[in-house]
Amino acid sequence: MSDQTGKQLSKEEKDARFEAELLPVLDPLYNFAYRLTLDEDDANDLVQETYLKAYRFFDYFEQGTNAKAWLFRILKNSFINEFRKKSKQPAKVDYSEVEGYYNSDDVEGESGVASTTDMRTESVQDLIGDEVASALNALPVDFRTVIILCDLEGFTYEEMAKILDIPIGTVRSRLHRARNSLKEKLEKYAKSMGYNS
Amino acid sequence: MESKFTEAYPKAPDEAREANCEKVSGMLDLMIDGEASTEEQTFFNHHIEECVSCFENHQKQKLLKGLVSGHLKRVIVPQSLVQSIKARIQETL
Repeated sequence: MSDQTGKQLSKEEKDARFEAELLPVLDPLYNFAYRLTLDEDDANDLVQETYLKAYRFFDYFEQGTNAKAWLFRILKNSFINEFRKKSKQPAKVDYSEVEGYYNSDDVEGESGVASTTDMRTESVQDLIGDEVASALNALPVDFRTVIILCDLEGFTYEEMAKILDIPIGTVRSRLHRARNSLKEKLEKYAKSMGYNS
Repeated sequence: MESKFTEAYPKAPDEAREANCEKVSGMLDLMIDGEASTEEQTFFNHHIEECVSCFENHQKQKLLKGLVSGHLKRVIVPQSLVQSIKARIQETL
């Protein structure tokens, strides 16, 4: 632990450790960036920015500690501090349109889905995935974030508190409100798929 | 399912029961996220054995989490990204 901090790594050692410990997080990190920005190019930039910062501060990273949580924290801070300001345009997704879709009464009438009851077919799985993505993307970014960290990436409340710089109590209440909001958006769809809610 | 809850436990007064429902409802996230203590789990599981509506709420909450964890598609990382990262790091040294 503490013997790591004082030791100056050679560039080769540093690069090797950086690759071994931080690059394996690329996939979840890119997915997180994409869910925050809702744009592939922006996600790309954000991830590069994150790794650049991580490399710069790699000496402060203690080997064997939670690399994933550390990178997620850097990425989330980059997103808030720089990225959001840089891209002045509001959101890439027309939320009002998505909201309208979920609030409209003609979402899949009963007859429309009556024949697709086999949940194992791939197309139905895709359909559900698309619905979940649309509903999730329509949530405010703070809500979207906690749901992704918890349900998709499996972070604990404590890890989420560290990544987001908020108390655990706030993690809990935010997650609760986020799920209620997501539930509301998915409710009509769930009913149409035969879930009784 | 045993019949113990119909006989072994005397009916709690409505108020106490409602208070338990409220408590259990506040624990739904803790339970589905695996964050509840052993004590909380015991209390929770005992209550949903007796209370159909809380049992159903628990099922629904699990379903919601499952929709995200099991159905949200992951985006594919562009193949060039690793090289771009390495290149940018070398550039800025």
